[in-house]
Amino acid sequence: MNRIVSKLNEDKKLLSIYFTAGYPEINDTVSIIQDLEKNGVDMIEIGLPFSDPLADGPTIQDSSTAALKNGMTTEVLFKQLEGIRDTVSIPLIIMGYFNPMFQYGVEAFCKKCQELGVDGLIIPDLPVDVYHNEYQAIFEKYGLINVFLITPQTSDARIRYIDSISNGFIYMVSSASTTGAKSGFGDEQTAYFERIGKMNLNNPQVIGFGISNNETFTQATKYAKGAIIGSAFVKHVTKHGVKTIDSFTKSILN
Amino acid sequence: MKRDTKHTPQQVLSPLEKSKLKIKVCGMKYQDNIESVAALQPDYLGFIFYKETPRHFDTKIPEIPEGIKKVGVFVNEDVSTVIEKINEFKLDAVQLHGEEAPYYCSILRSTNLLSKPIEIIKVFSIKDEFNFEVLEAFENVCDYFLFDTKGKLPGGNGYRFDWSVLNDYPSTKPFFLSGGIGIDQIDDIKNFIVSKASKYCYAIDVNSKFETEPGLKNKSILREFINKLHNKKTMNYNVDDKGYYGEFGGAFIPEMLHPNVEELRQNYLKVMAEPDFQKEFDKLLKDYVGRPSPLYYAKRLSKKYNTKIYLKREDLNHTGAHKINNTIGQILMAQRLGKTRIIAETGAGQHGVATATVCALMGMECIVYMGEIDIARQAPNVARMKMLGAKVVPALSGSRTLKDATNEAIRDWINNPVDTHYIIGSAIGPHPYPDMVTRFQAVISEEIKWQLKEQEGRENPDYVVACIGGGSNAAGTYYHYLHEPDVGIIAVEAAGLGIDSGESAATSVLGKAGIIHGCKTLLMQTKDGQITEPYSISAGLDYPGVGPMHAHLSKTGRAEFLSITDSDAMEAGLELSKLEGIIPAIETSHAFAIFKHKTFKPDDVVVMSLSGRGDKDLQNYIDYFKI
Ligand SMILES: Cc1ncc(COP(=O)(O)O)c(C=O)c1O
Repeated sequence: MNRIVSKLNEDKKLLSIYFTAGYPEINDTVSIIQDLEKNGVDMIEIGLPFSDPLADGPTIQDSSTAALKNGMTTEVLFKQLEGIRDTVSIPLIIMGYFNPMFQYGVEAFCKKCQELGVDGLIIPDLPVDVYHNEYQAIFEKYGLINVFLITPQTSDARIRYIDSISNGFIYMVSSASTTGAKSGFGDEQTAYFERIGKMNLNNPQVIGFGISNNETFTQATKYAKGAIIGSAFVKHVTKHGVKTIDSFTKSILN
Repeated sequence: MKRDTKHTPQQVLSPLEKSKLKIKVCGMKYQDNIESVAALQPDYLGFIFYKETPRHFDTKIPEIPEGIKKVGVFVNEDVSTVIEKINEFKLDAVQLHGEEAPYYCSILRSTNLLSKPIEIIKVFSIKDEFNFEVLEAFENVCDYFLFDTKGKLPGGNGYRFDWSVLNDYPSTKPFFLSGGIGIDQIDDIKNFIVSKASKYCYAIDVNSKFETEPGLKNKSILREFINKLHNKKTMNYNVDDKGYYGEFGGAFIPEMLHPNVEELRQNYLKVMAEPDFQKEFDKLLKDYVGRPSPLYYAKRLSKKYNTKIYLKREDLNHTGAHKINNTIGQILMAQRLGKTRIIAETGAGQHGVATATVCALMGMECIVYMGEIDIARQAPNVARMKMLGAKVVPALSGSRTLKDATNEAIRDWINNPVDTHYIIGSAIGPHPYPDMVTRFQAVISEEIKWQLKEQEGRENPDYVVACIGGGSNAAGTYYHYLHEPDVGIIAVEAAGLGIDSGESAATSVLGKAGIIHGCKTLLMQTKDGQITEPYSISAGLDYPGVGPMHAHLSKTGRAEFLSITDSDAMEAGLELSKLEGIIPAIETSHAFAIFKHKTFKPDDVVVMSLSGRGDKDLQNYIDYFKI
């Protein structure tokens, strides 16, 4: 069974962490992954940096730019991930924009992910219908789960459509924004979380965007299977380096 | 060629040749329409000399390309009149639609009063059945039979007979199939072609089903029909219903943008078709922008390069460039979609100014994203935007030019999904933007057509030329010529310091298929798929992609792409100033530099899109030429 699916079947709320591969230093990738697992994180999104990350705010833009400057590429990341499954067993998801995957070759990319033990992909600018028409068969051939986003503006009909094509979880973007733009949830968000909860979708939901601390994590996981932290973690390693990951996860999970 | 050996049994068409079924378009009447239908290269054009029809031909036949046979259609006319008309109109064939006897045909065949031999087509009308015995007497006196539907009128009844009647066709003479054939019957014709009944079918004759009024043929439907009949996969240069131009285009957008883009996609064509919208758009273009912009024959420039150069004066539009055609269209669109806040990106500042202008005009909030570097090199436009009440926000990431300004605008839109409309300034972005912008800019070629007709007596130039940043002035300049194969399309990109210098923006040469700003197009990028930072002296061409339509035009070879360096462009800008008294924008100067690299024939008509004026670039010209 795909590791993402088994993880979703566990009877607990999940903490998922995003980090940018190759940041702060080019060779931090593997140690960050190992430390996150060691400190109780349930799932990891490995950010493959892109020059023009449209859906991201300044924090992830900057970490991406720095990572590219450090020499991060698709090839380098794949090299770093060789043997990762010898030491790490939680689900690993690569999150990145479509163009680098398209240049690598979508099939070659998926094949490589399977070889390395990557479990899924999140590609914000690959729309669900293009995926469905052109790439779904390839993803399935290599046992990869593709994760789609929904937002407060996504219509019910489209959510049902996305649910029908998903086979892992649905990434519920907490508010209409780029990453790291807002922190904390107001009534509008909780109403949206409740609305989606009532839809009884086939796939569990994991909430992302705007989660930065224990309070927002607890709030989000009241309504969903789990929550994803991105910008707040990137900010933490920017400020405190990669040696203090335990203090970050503790502050979320305490 | 001797008559009696003309149609030997070899004439029988193999299935392969059937795909080359001849086409006759009958009932031609109007000069312009004859010329434009002739451009489709049908095999026969028919002119009806029978007075009792609205398609009666009573003018002159214009010059038409060789290889198209002119057919005179007659109904029980005096032989002497027929002979007269053949000679007067240099007809290649006659089609006899009445009760002409075999004897009548043999006179036409043997007379020495004709300046050249003609083909004789004898018509027979079929209802549900037909007595094929009547054909026999005509076997040796005509070249073709034509089978038409029997009706009240001698031809042109507009409906079909049952083609299976031809199963019993006893002759080996090639025949024309006629009677009420329209584009809807393509499949029937294809079925017919492979049936026994069609063994000797030589040509398809069409008329009333392709008319907008009697005698006036609809060229685009005819083109489609001919292409379909010949199984030619028609190259379509417009967007398809999925939002693609060939392999390029589409909408590669994060889900956060889906509601906005989808709302636009569902509404843009509907809104643009509303009479009220069109009226307001046309009125603003006329009274506010100052359209039509002149098409000016550049005499001294033409003389210098020994060809005929016309300038489409988009520089004379309000705000000094073509950009305002699009912003007028989009602000009206935004209003109809109930939006109250406008965002835009800008490179040279022309689009930013054009957007700030229409926002002032409509009293709407306006935020313009502009790369920090561009803010520095286009200071006058920054000041103009501010005067017009817009907020100019610097894009500080990446190369701090147009690409990054576009990223910032998209991020703004993600964060403001309900009340905001994003006015993209070029033929780029996710579908439907490239198509919508192209349609708003298409007014450029719409005007060129009638303006050139007035001045040169023809709508089609030999070339249309435009510079390409994202490709909006180019798309507008090409639009009405995309499917006119006799019009050459030239696209001019910025080579910066040179194609191989590493400092360039020549996407068609340096780019490959990739995804930028929501569409798949040609894109300058690293092997790893990271978007490269382009360079050009002109802020408006400093973009690492081209619009998807242009990527398709490049890939299919429909357009010729040339790239021009900074220095060639600057020299060309100076030359245009000195020769014609017009200081162009540096973007535009790139287009004018082609005359140094490409030679045109003396009688070629070359229409240049003069996309913008040089006021905003004065400081750059001053610095460059140490004026
Ligand atoms: C005068 C002028 N011409 C051309 C361009 C290039 O844009 P496009 O390719 O969309 O016409 C610009 C862009 O700013 C411009 O200002």
